This record gives sequence, structure tokens and C-alpha cells, in this order.
Amino acid sequence: MSDSVVFSRRDFLKLVGVGVAGAAAGCAKPPADKLYPYLVAPDDILPGVPYHYASTCRECPVGCGIVVRAREGRAIKIEGNPKHPIGQGGLCARGQSGLQGLYDPDRVKSPMVRNGATWKNVTWDEAIAMVGEKLAAAKGKTLLLTGLESGSTRALASEWAAAAGARLVMWEPFGYEAVKAANAKTFGLASVPRYAFENARCVVSFGTDFLETFGQPVSQARGFAAMRAKHEDGAGHFISVEPRLSLTGANADEWVAIKPGAELSLALGMAHVILNENLGPALGERGAMLSAVSAFTPEAVAAQTDVKAEDVQRLARLFAKSSGKSLAIAGGIATQGPNATALVAAVNLLNYAAGNVGSTVLFDRPLNLDGLASYAEFAAIVAEMANGAFDVAFVHGTNPAYSTPAWTKFADGFGKVGFKVSLSGTLDETAALCDVILPSAHALESWGDAQSAKGVWSLQQPSMRPLPMFDSRPFGDTLITLATAANVTGAWGATAFDDLKARWKAQHARFGNGRSFDLFWDETVAAGGVWEDAANTSVRWAGTPAFAAPAAAEGDFALVVTPSNNFYDGRGANKPWLQELPDMTSKAVWGSWAEIHPETAKKLGVKSGDAIVIETSAGKVEVPAYLYSGIRKDTVALGLGQGHTAYGRYAQARGVNALALLPEGTDAASGALAYQGARAKLSRGSKAMGLYLQQAEKNQHERELAQVIPVAALLAGGHGEHGAHAGHSLGRLTEKGGILSEEVQTKPGKYTEPLARPEGYVPPAHSLSAFEPKEKVRHPKSEPVSEGSYGKNAKHRWAMAIDLNACNGCAACVVACYAENNIPVVGPELIKKGREMAWIRIDRFEDKLDGGANDVRFLPSMCQHCSDAPCEMVCPVYATYHTSEGLNGQVYNRCVGTRYCSNNCPYKARSFNWFDYSAPEKTTFAFPEPLNWQLNPDVTVRSKGVMEKCTMCVQRILEGKGNARDEKRELRDGEIQTACSQSCPTQAITFGDLADPASAVHAKSYGERKYWVLEELHTRPGVTYLQKIQRETTNEGHA
Amino acid sequence: MNKTIAAVLVFATLAVASVALSQSFSVQMGANKGPAQPIKFSHKIHAGKLQMDCRFCHYGAYKSQWANIPAMSTCMGCHKIAVADRPEIIKLTGFWDRGEQIPWVKVHTLPDHVKFNHKRHVQSGFQCQECHGPVQEMDVVYQYSSLKMGWCVSCHRQNLNDQKRPATMDCLVCHH
Repeated sequence: MSDSVVFSRRDFLKLVGVGVAGAAAGCAKPPADKLYPYLVAPDDILPGVPYHYASTCRECPVGCGIVVRAREGRAIKIEGNPKHPIGQGGLCARGQSGLQGLYDPDRVKSPMVRNGATWKNVTWDEAIAMVGEKLAAAKGKTLLLTGLESGSTRALASEWAAAAGARLVMWEPFGYEAVKAANAKTFGLASVPRYAFENARCVVSFGTDFLETFGQPVSQARGFAAMRAKHEDGAGHFISVEPRLSLTGANADEWVAIKPGAELSLALGMAHVILNENLGPALGERGAMLSAVSAFTPEAVAAQTDVKAEDVQRLARLFAKSSGKSLAIAGGIATQGPNATALVAAVNLLNYAAGNVGSTVLFDRPLNLDGLASYAEFAAIVAEMANGAFDVAFVHGTNPAYSTPAWTKFADGFGKVGFKVSLSGTLDETAALCDVILPSAHALESWGDAQSAKGVWSLQQPSMRPLPMFDSRPFGDTLITLATAANVTGAWGATAFDDLKARWKAQHARFGNGRSFDLFWDETVAAGGVWEDAANTSVRWAGTPAFAAPAAAEGDFALVVTPSNNFYDGRGANKPWLQELPDMTSKAVWGSWAEIHPETAKKLGVKSGDAIVIETSAGKVEVPAYLYSGIRKDTVALGLGQGHTAYGRYAQARGVNALALLPEGTDAASGALAYQGARAKLSRGSKAMGLYLQQAEKNQHERELAQVIPVAALLAGGHGEHGAHAGHSLGRLTEKGGILSEEVQTKPGKYTEPLARPEGYVPPAHSLSAFEPKEKVRHPKSEPVSEGSYGKNAKHRWAMAIDLNACNGCAACVVACYAENNIPVVGPELIKKGREMAWIRIDRFEDKLDGGANDVRFLPSMCQHCSDAPCEMVCPVYATYHTSEGLNGQVYNRCVGTRYCSNNCPYKARSFNWFDYSAPEKTTFAFPEPLNWQLNPDVTVRSKGVMEKCTMCVQRILEGKGNARDEKRELRDGEIQTACSQSCPTQAITFGDLADPASAVHAKSYGERKYWVLEELHTRPGVTYLQKIQRETTNEGHA
Repeated sequence: MNKTIAAVLVFATLAVASVALSQSFSVQMGANKGPAQPIKFSHKIHAGKLQMDCRFCHYGAYKSQWANIPAMSTCMGCHKIAVADRPEIIKLTGFWDRGEQIPWVKVHTLPDHVKFNHKRHVQSGFQCQECHGPVQEMDVVYQYSSLKMGWCVSCHRQNLNDQKRPATMDCLVCHH
């Protein structure tokens, strides 16, 4: 009996029948997709064509101008408005993430009423009737607590409050109280000036994160980059004075690791030197000022600050050398301690003594903080609440239950209010304490405006209809309907929109220029607002406060509580992009950590990631340790923004809230809440902690990835590291340690001779690279192997130039790339395994970081679009290939996931889809409804097993080329911008056509300071880097 | 050899083969009948007999990547008056009066990783029929071309060096 026939012919035929039937049944066509037409086509929407709406960013109180890109009625991308005076086209990471606030899956879905420990959904009518009744009954005992509102919303809120007998209190944790108080005292003007970095040639920052959260970060970053650009006199110094080097400080030429809380002594000491040596302009106040600072001699300062007396003098002289063009800046949260106002006053004195007020410190466009409550006023309200002064409280746009420390007793006081209503769109900590939630619409789906700075009236236009799954209403509309329900009448319009429009009659009168109101309105909405050049309010020295030396601190460690570049005061923590965006100091994600000096760690016996306990008189927290050389040995730093107990799935239960460590304390002069000044004890913790580092290694290991050029060498027309130690690069040392002469491979050979080309040969555009090898290597591929039949019509070579001197590490580009390219958020565990999906990352390299001369370098890193790409030659299925326009293409549907390309990429530019981030049924799903509404329809959402990487936004290239063809014209340089180059506040990234000799990218790629990362590999990258300019601060002056 | 394994193998092979066969048949034979639509809209009458320009309704075709299906207001522009008593028009009016969208069944479908741009092709002078077939003769619209990559590429290859409308063979043009 043979084994070969296992079933009879009859069985076989049966099987055939079953097989075919099974195939037919199982593979019957899936239910066909449906196409639903519009009932009536909207005039302004053509499906498939993007629309852009000018609006105003509301992610922090600054209010930058933005342009929202919408497709098929969905907002899919936010960019800066290039014409707007605030932001000037750049937009920070927080602003980019506004979309995830709009599409937050944990937004409140409908009005809710507390039902014991849970919530009950009610209709708007029920909720309004219920709250209106309480409002009517509570006449005179109502509180309206909001975040900073300016413009029409504030006008409406204050009229509403007046009519309803309510008190309007606007509270922001970062309220600039010390700056206002100090300026009121010294300049007679209680406002936050505009710091004109672009006019400055020397900047000294006293712990102020002006590139992160302080002032107008995006505009300031633009000005700062101009200050740091090449100047013929070699100037452009930046010195950072702070106990813990912030992201802003990481850009400094010198880090003065000052004793925490003693910053004011150094400012006064510098002023003392300048006044004493008469280095500044002639001042009538000089005598009075000198006597005010007489106690702060360099020697006295040295004793108070840990800064040597000669350094005090040196810094003062360096600062005064640019007298009238230097800038000292203070007032950030990282210095808001018990003497915050005194510090700002001291810095004002320093600026005044150096003649900077009126040139770099300008009151032409101060931040509009009118009506913002001080902490003292806030505390008074809390006390009144505790005394039962309010029967009803409304909260909108602020979250004090999270953002004020426990000792303020906000929660206790708030609990004493009989009836609490939250008008928040999310269930944040304060909303969780309320009785009713009337969800407000997101700023991107409602009308509004902002008067963020003097002379700027910015309109906030909805970029889409309110999301259908969230039954929310604009804040203004809720106020108006509540008033109607409570029989409160006022002069406001029937809806918030009517009210807004009516209030803009005032702007029409001013900016109308004879246009009808409707025309003015339409044009203003399209432009994003109206603005005028504001005249500077010149100030004189109004009075010198008495300065006291900072008190010597007691206790083991100084606790520095740092504002977050990602989360601001914590309001960004519910956005997965911002959680996944590495903190640019530690490169950690998704949590909290304490920064301690490696020597401190050694003493405690902890390694990176081990738990440590920080204990202050107010409380203790246990967090993983991050070993950071950029902090003093007697200091520990903890970031703000994490540790939410509510606020949605992404924010909740991540890390710790640093505010829990703050003992009761305020700034003596302004009464502002003191974030600094606490003393802490450190000890080893016992819990297993997760420290998720996206980049654990911050040493370049002499690979010269991020390069610098000394300013002297630049001005002499020389080279930086590239020329100076080219021989130090890997593989170019002889066995004996000597350096080989330039011509290393001179032996002619069949495969090392350049290809023979006919006379007059023009290489195809796609093969262009600005790359020039340092050694005269005979290399077979000075041009690409194949020109390809497809390359004949190509006219472009897309390329980038990245100026490391302009990059300050703010990482706005990273979030812009996530938004544009549908990049999934993978969470902390996968990041720890190196499986982050980001297409662009900012590498941080700490070359010198121990006080004094400071050398931290940021390297935006993405696919280099090499002309000789290592990835292309190893792909077995041609999924990655070179396009006819010089791009390194990645075809997802061709990719079979061998990952050879990633293994062979020296730049770690490629990321692999280990899991199905786009499948709703999987736990790794990255786009829970409605986050998926944000997905860019022009970019494929990748599936599991597929490699992906930067495409230089090929969809934008195609769109730009298409627009040019529609208009029957040539492409214009700068017309196509990648998401990263568009968002960059400092324009550090230039994108364009290298084949166009008139393009900006051509000029930069072939200009000075150029180099290529890992150029010894001869990948001939399409991305050219420009070296960072390194300035010495120790030679008392400019190079 | 185990009988069960063998049975499964035969089953699987046949299933795959019959799917492949039936799919390629349905494509190659042009599937004379397209899917039944909620309203028996006839392109033969509109585009054929009445000689209406395709872009009168599909006005996105020359300015958007998608041709777009017309809004119901476009239908009602004529059919409020024109032949308003026919049963299919009564159906249309019913949808319109109820404010309900017509659930048209999609005939041409591309996978998510393919981006086709109508505007580029229409602007460079292609007739709709070159891809969509004799729509003016179709009572029920069906998929005329295979829409497979080889079909796209063959045309692109032919027009690679066309002076007026040079095509590209770059993968990223469709796959991005």
C-alpha cells in the first residue's frame, strides 16, 4: 500500500467543490465603499484641495499668529503666520500640538452633572437651566475664574461679570509678576518689555528661558538667531547665569554656574563694575545707582555667588563693551524665588547702566497682561472662597487645582463654594472638583481674538466646524446663554460671534481706511488680524530699590523647579506628541526625572535611572535620577508639567508634580508665588523607576557630527573643526598615530578612475551634491552609477542646508514633522528600545559642560538623502531607491521589512514599524478617534513591517510643483517648504533646489561653514550642515 | 502523508487559484455590469444622449486631485423641473427632501498607498474616456480599466519623453 494516494478521486472532487465554494464565500467582495455627496456644495471647499485659515494660537498666553491647513473640513496642520508680528511665521512645539488638543479623545463629550463620584450626561438645555438658576440665585456671590483673556473675550467676560454680579479673576501661573513689579519700581511702567535680541550683541540671561516659555519665545528665538549670526566684529556673545543649565542656557558660550538664589548679586556686581569704571554711557543717575550697589563689589559678590571676583569684572567688561547693544534678561520661572523682583530690578539697573534701555529693552510692543490677577489677589480670592463668599464659581481656561501648590489651599477653598461649574473642554483637575461641566469648544473650532501685545489685534478664526462627537459650545456663547437663563441682561451680542464682530467696530474705525466694515472684516479675517507699528514708550530710571544680599541658604540641596519647554505649566501634558517629544535637556520622554550632578549621584550611590527621593519641608517625591553635568553639585532640578491626576489618558499618572515639593513662600516684593528657594534632602529611593531616554549617549566620541567653527577662524576665512582636525576623523590615522597626507588613494585602477565622460557632459540634476571630499580620493562614484532613463526630464535636486548656529534645540520641527507625516506615537517602553518613529530628531551633544566655557551642540538629524546612499544598495526589493530629483525614496508597498536599509544607514535615519500603529484593534494603535482626524490625507499611514523615514515632505514638493504647473510658471525658490523648515522659529533649516544656482539652499550649501555629517563615508549627502559659530568669552571682548 | 494536512493543502491551493482566476476574469472581462446604485443614474443619458461635459458635474477633475461626485444640489438644479415625474427622479427628490445623502457605491477604488491625481492628468489633455472607458455608453458605470500598477506604468512609460505632457516613472509620484 502506497502512502502517496491519501484520498480517493471522489474525496478529491468533494474537496475541490468545498475549496472553490469556500473561496467564493470567504473572499466575497467586502461591502463596497460608499461615496456620500454633499447635499449642497459649499462654496469654499473642493474636496482634495487644502484650505488655509489665519488664526491665533491659544496654547499659551502669547498668542502667535498661525495659519491652519484644513482638508475636507478637518484641520490637519498648524503653521506660523509669516505676516504676523508675533511669531513671524515660526511656531513652537506647543503651538504645533494645538491640533491634539482639538482632537483629544478624552475631551468632554457633552455637558455633565456630578452624580456622586461619577458624572451624568445632560443636554445643554438642562445644564443651562440648572446653572442659570444657580447664577440667578447667587446674585453678587459669583466668581468667574479664567486664564489670561485679552480682547473681546475679556470685554465680554468683564461685562458679563459686572451684569451678573460676579467677580472676574484671570489667573496664570506664569504671570510675570516679578517683572511687572520691578519695572513699575525702576521704570514706572508695570509691563513686560519686548527684548530686542536682534539689536543686541551680547546677552546675559539670569536663569531666564527666553527660548522656551518666557516672554514671546518664538519671536525672541528669531531675534536671538540674528544676534548669534556672523557679525564682522565677532560679537554676539551669550552668557547664561543659572545653577542648572536650561535648554536656553545650553546655547550659551559661557555657563556661569551660580549659587541658586544669588543671581541678583552678580547682576549688581556687574553693574557696580560698569558704573565704577564708567564703562557705560554718561548717566545722571550714576551717583545714586553707584551708592545703591556700593555693597556689591566684585569681592563681595564672589563670596555670595561662587563666581570669582575677576570673572565678575570680566563679564561686566564684556557686557559693557557692547554698551547700548547688550541685553541682560531676568524674570523666568527658574528664578522666581523669594527675591525675584529684586533680581529683575537688579537686571534693570544693569541694563540701564549699560545704556540698553531703549535699544534692546523696548516698551514698544509689551505683552498685554492687563487685568491678570497677581498671586496676592488670587490668594485673597481663595481665602474668600474658604469663607463662603461665593455661592457659584465658574472656571475656564485655567487649572489651579493642578498648577498651584497645595499650600495655596485652592482645592480646600474651592470646595467651600456651593456650586462649581467648569467651562473647560477637558476633564482637568479643576473640572474634576466641579459640580457641572459645560464643555467649551476648542480655539481651533471657535471664533475669538487676542490682543496679545500692544498694537496687535489678532483674530481667532475657526478652521473647521465643531467636532460632532463633542457637544461643546464656545466659551462666550455659554456665558451669553447663561446670562439669558439667569435673566441677566447686558449690551453684548446674541452670540459670541456677533459680540466679537460688534467689538471689532473699534478696530474698523482705526484700521478701516475707508473700507466698509464687511470688507474690512473679511480682509482682516483672511490676514489674521490687524497690527500697527507701535512707538516705543521711552522710560527713565524711576527709582532704585534697596538691594539686600541674598540670604545664605541652609539645607542639603537647592531645589530648582524648571518650566517645561514641552508642557509650559503643565497644560500641554495631555498631548501625546509633546509627551513623546524628548525633553531637550535630558532627552527623556513620558515622565518625570530629577536632574542631579554625576558626583552627587555617586555620593548617593545611584546610577542613571535609579530612584531617588527628594524631600522638602512640603513633601517628598520619588523619581528616577538623570545624571546631568549641567547642574551644580548642590542643586537638584525637577521639571514642571507632569504628575497630573486627571486630564486624560496621556497626562494622567505620568511622573510627579514638582509643585508638591514647594513649601509656602512668595516673592517678598511682588507677592508672586515662589517656585524657587526650596531646600531639599536627597536619598536613594527603593522603587523601580522608568527613565525613558530617547538619546542616552550625549558624547560625540570625536566623530565630529555637530561641528563648530571659532569665530576668529570664520572671520579669517578659515575652517572650523573640519579643516583644523580633519585628520582626527575615524580611519584616517596611520598605524603609528600620525596623520596621513591628503592624497591617500592615488593608485590608478580600473574601478577607482572617474568614469569617462564625453566633452561638454552635464551631469543630471539628481546626481548633484554640494559634497566635496576632503581627501583627493579616487572614487568610482563621483557621479551616480546610473543616470536612469527616468532621470532625463528631471530638473531639480531637492536638498537642505541646516545652520547649526541658528538651531537652538527647541524641537518645534520634530512636532511639525509628526503632524505633517502621520508619524505614530509609540510610548515610553518602545522609545527606550530605540524604536521611536520620529523622522527628524534633535541630537544633543555635550562637548563641554562643567561651568565656564560651554559647548552644547544641537544637531537636527534626519534622512540625509545621500547621492550615494548606503540604504539603497542593500534593499533586496528596490523599496528604497534614488529618485530622479535626488531624493532617497521609500516605497511602502514595496517594502518587505528586511531592515537591511536601516542596518546600513550610518545616520540612524530610518524607523521601522514593529507594530501596527494604525490598526484600531491593536494595543499599539496610535490614533484613537478623533486623533485620526488629524491624519494628513496626502501621506500614507504606514502599516506593520514597513520601513519609513524622512521624505523631505515629498507630498509638499508635488503640491508645489503642481501649483506651478496650474499657473503655468516655473517654481519659485522658497515656494516649497518642508514641515520642519516652515516651523523653525529661527529659519535654521533651508530647503530648496540645489540645481538652481539662485536658490537659497544653493548659496548655503556651497557657502562658508559647510560640512557634512560623517563625510568620511562619502555618502554625498543632500543635507549640508553649517558649523556653529563658537565665541570665546574669556578674552574680555570680541575677537 | 497525513490526510488532513493534504486536504487542507488542496483546499488552500484551490481557494487561492480560484480567487486569482475569478478576480482576473472580472477585471478582464470588464465586468459588464457595475454595482447596482441606489438610484439608477445613467451616464448614457447624461453624457451620451444629452452630451453633457463630464466636468459639468465632476468639476473637481481639473482642479483637484479628486474628480468629486456632484453635490445633490447639482442634480436638483435640473431635476426640480426636468422629468420630475420619473420613478428614479422621485427617488432622488425623496433623498433631497429628507436631507439625506445618496449612498453611491464606489466603483473605482485605489489602496491607501496609491495617490492618483486627476487634476494633473486632465490638465495635460487626457480625455476622461482614456481611463474610464466609454462612460457615455454606460447605463451602469463599471470599472473599465484594471487600475493595476502595470496599467498605470505602461502609459507612463509610453509618455516618458512626450514633449507636451512628459510622464514620470518616479515611484514617489504615486506612492508617498
